[in-house]
Amino acid sequence: MFIGAIGCEPLQLRRVHLEGSHTLDVYRRNGGYEALKKVLDGMTPDDVVGEIKKSALRGRGGAGFPTGMKWSFVPKDSPKQKYVVCNADESEPGTFKDRYLMERDPHMLIEGMLIAAYALGARTNYVYTRGEYRYLINIMDAALDEARSAGLLGEKILGSNFSCDIYTHSGAGAYICGEETALLNSLEGLRGHPRMKPPFPAVSGLYASPTVVNNVETLTAVPDIIKMGGEAWQKLGTEKSGGTKVWSVSGHVNRPGVYELPMGYTDMEKFIMEDCQGMLNDRQLKAVIPGGSSVYIMPARDILGRGVKMDYEGLVAAGSMVGSGGFIVMDETVDIFESTKNLIEFYKHESCGWCTPCREGTDWLVKVFKRIARGEGQPDDAQLLLDLCDNIEGKSFCPLGDAAAWPIQSAIKKFPEDFRRHLQGIAERAVVGTTSSAAAASHGAAGEALPTA
Amino acid sequence: MSQELIKVTVNGQDYQVAKGARLIDVCREQGHAVPSFCYYADLALQASCRMCLVRIEKMPKLQTSCTITCTDGMTVTTESEEIEKARRGMVEFLLANHPLDCPVCDRGGECELQEMVFDWGGLEERFREKKNAFPEKFLSPIVANDSQRCILCKRCTRVCDEWMGEDAIEAGGRGVNTVIGTYDGWLNCSQCGNCIEVCPTGTLLDATYRHQARPWELSQTVTTCTFCSDGCQMSLGSRAGEVMRSVARDRYVEGINGEFLCIKGRFAHPFVNHEERIKTPMIRYRKGGRLVPATWDEAIHYVTEGFEAAKSAYGGAGFGVVGSPRLTNEANYAMLRFAREVVATENYAGTEAFSLAPFFQNLGAPLATHKDIRHAKTIVLIGGEPEELQPLTGKQIRQAVRNGGARLIIFNHVPIRLKEQAAQFLHVNRGTEDAVVFALADAGNVDAAARKLGVESSALADARRAIEEAAGDVVILFGGELGGAAQAVLAQLPAAFGAREGRRFLFHPLPLFNNSVGVHDLGLMNGRTDAAQLLAACGESVRALYVAGSFLPRHFEGRADALSKLDFLVVQELFETETTRHADVVLPAASFAEVDGTFTNNSGQVQRVRQSIPPVHQSRPDWMITDALARAMGVEFGYEMSASRLFSDIAANVPAYAGLRYPALKDESNPVQARHEVFGARDVSGHLQTLRRRVESFVETEDRQAWTPAVGHELFRPGTLTGKTPQFHLLDAGNPKPPTVLVSPLYQLTVDRSLRRASVVAAGD
Amino acid sequence: MSSQFTPNNPLPQEAPVPREMAVFSPEVEAEIDRHLAKYPKERSRSALIPLMFVVQRERGWLDPAGVAYLADRLRLRITDIWEVATFYSMLNTKPVGKYHLQICRTLSCKIMGADTITEHCSKRLGIKPGGTTEDGQFSLSEVECLGSCGTAPMLQLGVDYHENLTPEKVDELLDRCRRGEYEFGVKVL
Repeated sequence: MFIGAIGCEPLQLRRVHLEGSHTLDVYRRNGGYEALKKVLDGMTPDDVVGEIKKSALRGRGGAGFPTGMKWSFVPKDSPKQKYVVCNADESEPGTFKDRYLMERDPHMLIEGMLIAAYALGARTNYVYTRGEYRYLINIMDAALDEARSAGLLGEKILGSNFSCDIYTHSGAGAYICGEETALLNSLEGLRGHPRMKPPFPAVSGLYASPTVVNNVETLTAVPDIIKMGGEAWQKLGTEKSGGTKVWSVSGHVNRPGVYELPMGYTDMEKFIMEDCQGMLNDRQLKAVIPGGSSVYIMPARDILGRGVKMDYEGLVAAGSMVGSGGFIVMDETVDIFESTKNLIEFYKHESCGWCTPCREGTDWLVKVFKRIARGEGQPDDAQLLLDLCDNIEGKSFCPLGDAAAWPIQSAIKKFPEDFRRHLQGIAERAVVGTTSSAAAASHGAAGEALPTA
Repeated sequence: MSQELIKVTVNGQDYQVAKGARLIDVCREQGHAVPSFCYYADLALQASCRMCLVRIEKMPKLQTSCTITCTDGMTVTTESEEIEKARRGMVEFLLANHPLDCPVCDRGGECELQEMVFDWGGLEERFREKKNAFPEKFLSPIVANDSQRCILCKRCTRVCDEWMGEDAIEAGGRGVNTVIGTYDGWLNCSQCGNCIEVCPTGTLLDATYRHQARPWELSQTVTTCTFCSDGCQMSLGSRAGEVMRSVARDRYVEGINGEFLCIKGRFAHPFVNHEERIKTPMIRYRKGGRLVPATWDEAIHYVTEGFEAAKSAYGGAGFGVVGSPRLTNEANYAMLRFAREVVATENYAGTEAFSLAPFFQNLGAPLATHKDIRHAKTIVLIGGEPEELQPLTGKQIRQAVRNGGARLIIFNHVPIRLKEQAAQFLHVNRGTEDAVVFALADAGNVDAAARKLGVESSALADARRAIEEAAGDVVILFGGELGGAAQAVLAQLPAAFGAREGRRFLFHPLPLFNNSVGVHDLGLMNGRTDAAQLLAACGESVRALYVAGSFLPRHFEGRADALSKLDFLVVQELFETETTRHADVVLPAASFAEVDGTFTNNSGQVQRVRQSIPPVHQSRPDWMITDALARAMGVEFGYEMSASRLFSDIAANVPAYAGLRYPALKDESNPVQARHEVFGARDVSGHLQTLRRRVESFVETEDRQAWTPAVGHELFRPGTLTGKTPQFHLLDAGNPKPPTVLVSPLYQLTVDRSLRRASVVAAGD
Repeated sequence: MSSQFTPNNPLPQEAPVPREMAVFSPEVEAEIDRHLAKYPKERSRSALIPLMFVVQRERGWLDPAGVAYLADRLRLRITDIWEVATFYSMLNTKPVGKYHLQICRTLSCKIMGADTITEHCSKRLGIKPGGTTEDGQFSLSEVECLGSCGTAPMLQLGVDYHENLTPEKVDELLDRCRRGEYEFGVKVL
């Protein structure tokens, strides 16, 4: 598996190949904690937030919300304790970048969190890591201990008046806890149900106090932004999508891995065919899910020769989203009906059960997929699937409902033939021994519900 | 909510609404129907059923109207093609895994899901898949559970947590496998059944009523509960002369308790039609002989002869007449008139556990309603255990603290469960509660009182200061621990503390019975004697006794054979009791479900008792029996078989009830408070002297109960009435989990000595 | 005329008998204290999930005595623990095998051959996903994405990641477990 930067100097992945990259010593010898020093040596919290705003950094967890703006929502005059919580509940299928960032360079996250805590006036902070990443929690704990002994955490950090501490916290297996309010519930020892918004965490988050929840990669970007200045960092990328982005690549490519690319990297075809060293076994590219399972699937025809720009705007223009940057590449052997079934089973398993449409909708969808897979599909099933998705989308309590609906909607739209095959096959089988006109009728009906490619 | 008005447009119509109003409420109040399952006023918002989606201008998606606070200029659409599709889609989702077994579901006919499907359901079912199945099971002897019908609105878990403070029932599992349940599938709680009540579907079911009747077969009668002094409003469902169930469902009744009831109110009604009810009048022709069934004419004749004989031999002084705080005002007033007018005696009393007469005679502030308690800012609880003895009061206290931020101060020698909600819990020595009043009466008494109470002087001073400096309503509740002098001094505390801007004192006594306050109001507790003294005088000065109801076991303490010494004893009862054991005549009385009348609750609210079924067997309402005896002895009360007429008589003679009539008491949602006289500053120095001497007499030894009594220690006790519901015996024996939860525990467990000794550990204690 | 009434007095009552509660060594108690120290005092419920992992490590699963311990230690109701324990997939409310093989079944692993690995494990252990071998040594589960998509297919044994799997690698792993030679690499601390 590859780890490295393409098309830019490695920033996030600057130290990953160094021996002992996870230690304080190596981190410090390679520019570590300089940004923190710079901040403590004369930047005001407002200066820090200003730089982040200038950097055009957008949340790397999936929603892509501008980070500087999120930070500025925290009420400055609130007498309450404030918290920075790092969302390391990386669970989006196809996404594993945070894992390597934490494994190889935990101090970069600590430094990012310290700067965020300084900017927001937070005294106590937590890294919420998914329970399955237990080894990362142990790595983080060791790094935090090192930092604490070196005076980088605790009282009067580096001799300044800034006191701050960071603790690890473990999840226990729930994708929904990647949603920031569900994460906060989980951190409070509750079931991981999302909370009602408003109030947003910036006003009432952890323990009903102002809280900023940021993804690992968002926070690890912070030290470089401070060191380089927000503007310089932004210029590495595009105007609206600043800096670099770390992508996780999996599936049918010769070189899966963690790739740091400048925002706006062009183009996706080159990325797959050259940077990832092309398709496994020289098979044909069929589809890419570029941003973790929750985004629209892209057929090869929307990628090859289309010059797709890899940033927030470019991917929207190409019919998908950056999401979490979990790049799943599928070759011609993949049946998109099967791959979509796999994903909806994931969403059913991970639906928290709070709201009606997501809980019952994902269950129903899985049942329809399974029935079709058993060979009992009905001609109008495609229409049924789309209608169920429509009844979930935009009506669920949190975005998980949308995330479950989008892959199905886009798969049926972009790969109708893969669905038609399953439904038609049935229609034909069902009419053995009946009249051919009935076969033709079913055949036609199966086709009707599906758009043409 | 502020008084400021803002403009909200719903479906093109403009409305002025209070700033801060909730959109779903506004829509509904203005007649724009918005469906919902999970929204339940006064419970935490859930926004999970997604039925109440509406379109709000300038918002990207459909919004749940239950979570939206109205803002000025908000433009809302509640009816459109888009919204209709969303709602129909939601109902379709809810029905997907719902078993559609309405024909065998207890809730069929009054099921909110069923009603919603009539409004929003599709004509055909598109769900062709196999439904997820969960077995139907029991969560306790009293709560049955069919998870498959659950729509996860979580009203049950919220009432359990927010109303009851028990959190006994919760959602477990995740996603479509989420189920409502408990840790080991067995519900160890107070068994209030409120989870059943608020369930919109047939998921949580009354196991005492399950499969017994269909809702449309039942006649619903709104009445007042017969069990404690809170006076919850309930609807008795009866069929063919049998009470089948008791509910507080808002489609039938809307009383002070909302949909709240406790285990007794909800499940202890089977005594009404119980086979052990006394069926006919019975006469014991010979002392020591057995009771022989008789006709009413024979019985009345026999009683008249007995009373006339006693009257001529001993005069009025030889008579005792005993009413009961469990019976209606009408029954007790008839007894009182019987005492005064028929046998001319001052020896009347009520079978109360303790007298509140000194309190009412010095009442220095109005009585708090349950609503007042819910919104109080400071609550002082001296003795008592409302969660077990006045559960609605307990719930209101809990909600005042949890939802209203009230400051709760508790003085008790037992660490009652409510202490979890208390800002201050003062664990006092057993039997020293009077010293609390002594300390509150004067700051100078604090040190002396603290020594007797066994608490830190500073803690007691803090509690006193909290009352002194309180803003808003201060509700003082007290139990039977307080002696007469302490009650009198307590009742005058408002004067002792003096007036303070923004502070209002309210009292809430905690008597034990459904009409305790009524018997005080009528004057039954102001006679020359009390129940225990009357018993002591039996066979001495008192030779003939006429009792409605029964004496309490505590009245017999030290005088177990008192009743056997009488010349003549007449008792009106539902069941044979210790009191009927020596009766010469036992007359079958009708229960609360069979009579019209009124009960006065611990807030002083006079509420209607309504006849749900005709009197069972040959029983008759107590007041009618008394009326018949009076007539046979030559006194005409003039009630002409009308309870309403009798109540007018009460209203004419009891000042606190002046002007009241049944029609004025018709609306249970707007109960009428009796006008108890509130006295300004009164001289209570005599009482204070008595109290001082009493406090000084307390021995300063540590004597406190160390452990918190288990949930249900009072509620589950099988009494004469509650014991007729078999489930109470299992609960009293520790609510053991049976070998299988698929069959009613009643068929699996026998209450014997081994079970009674089984260690009892409630979940969540 | 005052007759005092004390409701709690005259009743025959027994103090509740405490349920069986797990007892931990001073080292584990100290570890639990360290977890609790991370959170504000009045927010000790935050430590629930971390402590559940400790109980699970010490007792194999969230057994009744372990749950009773947690309820007592964190001053929670048993139901509070039940609702949380049943929400998260890593918390075991039933006993699991000493070697819990959790095979990722989500898309990237799926297209890279997770089914083959699952079938292979199933065959070798004689149990289906969701099952435990009769000797209680092995449990097999299919789980959702474990963030190992670039090194698919993969499984998690305990909390150790085993990636880029082939049937041969699985055989080698199972043999090591069978021989008792498998050392868990990652510890729940």
